[in-house]
Amino acid sequence: MVGELTWSRRIAGLWIPLGALFVFALFPFVWMAATSLKANAELYDPKANPLWIRHPSLEHYIGLLRESNFLLWIGNTMLVAVVSTLISLLLGLMLAYPLARMRFPGAGLLALSVAVAYLVPQTLLFVPMADLINRMSLGDTLSAVMLTYPTLLVPFCAWLLMGYFKTVPRELEEAALIDGASRWRAMTQVILPLCTPGFLSAGIFAFTLAQNEFLYALLFLNTSTIRTVPVGITGELIRGDAFYWGQLMAAALLGSLPVALIYSFFVKYYVAGLTAGSVKG
Amino acid sequence: MGHPTSRREFLKLATTGAAGATVGSGWRPRKASAKPAQITFLRESSYVKEFDDYFKNVLIPRYQQETGIKVNYEIVAAGGSAVPRLVSIVESKAPVDVAWVQLEWLYRDGLLDVSDIAEEVGKKGGGWYPAVKDLSIQDGKWKSVPFGNIGQVMVYRRDWFDAAGFTSFPDTWEEFLEAGTKLKKAGHPFGMSMGHGFADNNSWQLPLLWSMGAQVVDKDGKTIHLDSNETAKAVDYVRKLYKDACLDDCLGWTDPANNKAFLTSQISCTNNATSILISAKRDLPEMGKVTDQALNPKGPKGRFHSLVATTHGIFKHTADPEAAKHFLRWLMDPKQVTGWYRSGFMYYAPFVHAYDHDPEWDKEPRFKPDQKVLETGKLPSWPAPADRRAGEVLSKWVVVDMFAKAATGKSTKDVIAEAVTGLKQIYG
Amino acid sequence: MSVNPVLDAARPAPQAVAAPRPFRPREWLEREAVFSWLMLTPPMLFLLAFLGYPFCYGVYLSFVNRPVAQPATFVGLANFVNLWNDPIFWQAVWNTIRFTGAATVLKLVGGLGMALVMNQNFRMKGLTRALLLLPFIVPTVLSTVAWQWILDPGMGLFNRLLMFFNLVTQGPSWLGNPTLAMVSVILVNTWRGLPFFGITILAGLQTIPVELLESATIDGAGTWQRFRHVTLPLLMPVIFIVTTFSIIFTFFDFQLVYVLTGGGPANATHLMATYAYAISMGGGQLGLGSAVALAMVPVLGLVLLAMSWYVRKD
Repeated sequence: MVGELTWSRRIAGLWIPLGALFVFALFPFVWMAATSLKANAELYDPKANPLWIRHPSLEHYIGLLRESNFLLWIGNTMLVAVVSTLISLLLGLMLAYPLARMRFPGAGLLALSVAVAYLVPQTLLFVPMADLINRMSLGDTLSAVMLTYPTLLVPFCAWLLMGYFKTVPRELEEAALIDGASRWRAMTQVILPLCTPGFLSAGIFAFTLAQNEFLYALLFLNTSTIRTVPVGITGELIRGDAFYWGQLMAAALLGSLPVALIYSFFVKYYVAGLTAGSVKG
Repeated sequence: MGHPTSRREFLKLATTGAAGATVGSGWRPRKASAKPAQITFLRESSYVKEFDDYFKNVLIPRYQQETGIKVNYEIVAAGGSAVPRLVSIVESKAPVDVAWVQLEWLYRDGLLDVSDIAEEVGKKGGGWYPAVKDLSIQDGKWKSVPFGNIGQVMVYRRDWFDAAGFTSFPDTWEEFLEAGTKLKKAGHPFGMSMGHGFADNNSWQLPLLWSMGAQVVDKDGKTIHLDSNETAKAVDYVRKLYKDACLDDCLGWTDPANNKAFLTSQISCTNNATSILISAKRDLPEMGKVTDQALNPKGPKGRFHSLVATTHGIFKHTADPEAAKHFLRWLMDPKQVTGWYRSGFMYYAPFVHAYDHDPEWDKEPRFKPDQKVLETGKLPSWPAPADRRAGEVLSKWVVVDMFAKAATGKSTKDVIAEAVTGLKQIYG
Repeated sequence: MSVNPVLDAARPAPQAVAAPRPFRPREWLEREAVFSWLMLTPPMLFLLAFLGYPFCYGVYLSFVNRPVAQPATFVGLANFVNLWNDPIFWQAVWNTIRFTGAATVLKLVGGLGMALVMNQNFRMKGLTRALLLLPFIVPTVLSTVAWQWILDPGMGLFNRLLMFFNLVTQGPSWLGNPTLAMVSVILVNTWRGLPFFGITILAGLQTIPVELLESATIDGAGTWQRFRHVTLPLLMPVIFIVTTFSIIFTFFDFQLVYVLTGGGPANATHLMATYAYAISMGGGQLGLGSAVALAMVPVLGLVLLAMSWYVRKD
């Protein structure tokens, strides 16, 4: 931050915009919370206030937790998301580092083909993908999605990481090499730590995409106990044309708040990594 | 039918092999105690939860007791999620054996010939309703065994209709428009789905067309009949209905939207399955008391309904066709299927005549229209054959969009012409 | 270097290699090209197997007539000709471009603003960041379902608010009116994606060396000038990448429109992704559906090319 902020500047420059952001981002969640705590009679009542609860009821939460495999779905989703993210960050880093920082024959062409690979929609891929998964006898296992999600995530992680890698000056690496470090050490001990915000950004995005994904999960996760949240919820809380709205909203909150808490944990390190990084010249 | 023990042995060998492969490579081992053989049965999640529960709690254990074979019941979300799953099963030959095949016109070639089962069930059941045969039979062979129809009828608020002076539900489309106009003025408009859903739009629009004497494609499956005076009459009617009787929002409604609108007291009438009535009775008893159902109004050429047929099929690539057939035959035997039908409150109206007067229908008289639907019900492709092209017409919403565009102000001539262009692209 | 020049002269000079040296693995690994290619191999193999093969198969599909469960027949460009003459296809193309363009601009501007606001010092930053990310975190399927209700004409928050403040007697039909339906899907997409732009650009903002900004202030630059001439240029790589990625992601967006409107009313919100799906799954035409999906690639490629050309100009 630069400059001294007076009290009025702070209100105008910080609190008002921040408040607006909060309202914009979170009003649906307030509504979801209110809905999840309303019994059906109040939920469907046209005269009821959308954001106020007259007779709070936990029936939807209880129903959700007791009558469905919701907790299992959360567990599966977390597992899949973590593993896919780690795989994607690793592979993404391995793609991005050479392309961003090194000069070698074929670099340009490779970067281009990675970019093109990303321009592939899921709707084009899912039939052959299903075929591939079945050939490997991975149908109805979590491994199926843990292997297919990185196809969606790796190009992005690589791309995002390339952006961060490029911002670190070459001189730092060269200095390390002159000092006798191997390329490997230069990479792992000098450059990568400086890019921690990049990893965290890419990791957050990858994790979110992974836990959000629907089509592959629909195709490859068939048994209820194996399913992730998106597929489990739509499969069992949407029956025919009837949506179990109360339970759906309860699921939405229960499914996203733990993740938000995890994120807030990482954000702490994110900030620490940033203050360390910004000391460079 | 073979000797149970030897079939069981064979199945055991076949499936432990597959199970072994998955235990090794899977993150979560398949029931490692998978000694009994397995048949995987895929179905869309039923609106009536009791129906799925009955299958899980009564039928699966019974079958296991009788044959030692475990049935793996896979439920997929309704509203279209089953379709990619089914298509990918057929394409990648995934290990699913029996399924509710939903859009069998897409992949009849991937289904097993089940004529023997279907004929037997038909005979035992007093005959099939003829309309559904067009769906299940390809080249003289049954590729699926019909199960039940999800009845799409008019659902309405009897109290508001009474207050507007309509003590019985409108019998003709003219009366229907009249009622809607009056009710909209009283603040209780109709909510006729006209958006990109799958059932609640076709279920009144197609019967409207047919009852006016219009058709989409001829039964030869080639000649396009949509461009006709009768169609123009239907289009003009819908335009008027939308403007004078309907809620604005219904132009964009997918299938759950009319349920939501009805249950939140925003509309007085819509076309839907019994899900609204069942929801109302269960969750909003006061509303449930004043909700009723009725058959579609009739037009100059009669009264029609649109069938939403559910059928069961066996995939050709199933590991053990004999076992799968045994299971399906067992399932459709009255000893099993009667209880199953009833557990769902006849939500799926059986396609065999034997159940036309089943006592379950008498338990809730308001469900009776769903049974009557079978008498005048036609497949959405009618009169054209129920083949892949008819499916494409539905999935591209050719007819639905024709009506929707007219409702937003386009001229009747233009919307029909555009629809015909769309049909020509499909039928050539 | 020693102090005595005589001794220096006597010592053999450090020299560049004249004679061939024995192969030392560690040195070989240190060569830029080798190091790079070794690093690249595992991810490349993975992508080739899991992305390359399905992609090639998908491309192949678009040149054949391939009804589900039936064998393929080669038809050359017939699928593409079919699409060329299909008004729904062109509407989907146009919808997709409009949808992507509007949502991306909104997300970029909003995200930039959010990043600038969040780049200040205040308590509970961590919690704030996490909470503001919620629209992005919650599974799309569920938040879209919630939006269905929020956009409900009678029960939804928007219309309730409008009616509460007496701005309208009856709220508009957010999903029934063709224009408003497009506005609604753009809005929901923006709502969902803006936080991600914000957080990523924030990360970029925080890697800008404080000294640069301080020296600009000392030189007399005002807030806007600092932003325009120091901050913005340094942010460009991050902005470019996150925007490009978002364009791709938004262009391919399927779930949101599928759940909210199914492409209606009357194809007003039909995107190429939803159309491809309807053709493949509903119509059972895997070949034609793949052609629609494949058609997305050059359209998207052109959009990205235009974007990168514009950025290169700076």
